[in-house]
Amino acid sequence: MPTLRSAISSAAGALDVQRARLEVAISNLANAESTRGPDGNPYRRREVVIETTRADGPQGAFGVKVAGIVEDQSEFRERFEPSHPDAGANGFVRMPNVDVPEEMVDMLGAARAYQANLAAITLIRETVQKALEIGRG
Amino acid sequence: MPNSIVNDSAMMSALGREMTRAVQRMAVASGNLSNAETPGYRTQEMHFAEALDGQIGALQPAATNGRHLGSSADGGMVREAEGGPARRDGNNVQMEHELLALSHAGSDFASAQTVLAAKFRLVRYAINEGR
Repeated sequence: MPTLRSAISSAAGALDVQRARLEVAISNLANAESTRGPDGNPYRRREVVIETTRADGPQGAFGVKVAGIVEDQSEFRERFEPSHPDAGANGFVRMPNVDVPEEMVDMLGAARAYQANLAAITLIRETVQKALEIGRG
Repeated sequence: MPNSIVNDSAMMSALGREMTRAVQRMAVASGNLSNAETPGYRTQEMHFAEALDGQIGALQPAATNGRHLGSSADGGMVREAEGGPARRDGNNVQMEHELLALSHAGSDFASAQTVLAAKFRLVRYAINEGR
């Protein structure tokens, strides 16, 4: 049965997930021009996979968790820059498959969801406080 | 006792149920809110008519026994909301709607709590013989 505890843990899980999304979006933005990764290839855009769970047992509120962080396998962008040390024989440099505006939008969405869940936690906490007042003189 | 219109314990258990209901609504809204960005998630909602029927059913044993608190069997009261504009990823959570539901349930809880606390004050007053 859903309780205030499961409501709060579901909102807290969402905070975790949104923070992970923010972090991934920021690392994508930071590496939007990185042509060399550890494996010698340009940076691959990373993405958070979000999954619905039960926060507190099978009857609890719906929670959420990060199922994993995966690499976007789409094609690298190419830019003509023959003077670049990583340029191929035809003068094209392979650039990360990061789309900067898309990352910005994702970041805004994550920040907005984070705020909403924070507001939810505040509301639930006030309710818990209110419940405790029953026992008071 | 079974025929008295309103007795204290019935009223208190009704208030308790009201608070339980508010908490369930909060949990549902908070679950929706935390899945506002989960692809394919569908908004969940409590369905009140059936929840009410369940409560009316639960009131029957309460009439035969003043201490009966009513059932809290609520397995099937949450279901997917119908309609609503879905985004491209199949998610149809409206964040504002859920925040509103959350604060609505919060104020319902607060008002039931206020009345219940007043009830308890009366009981305490009686126990202390008016002191």
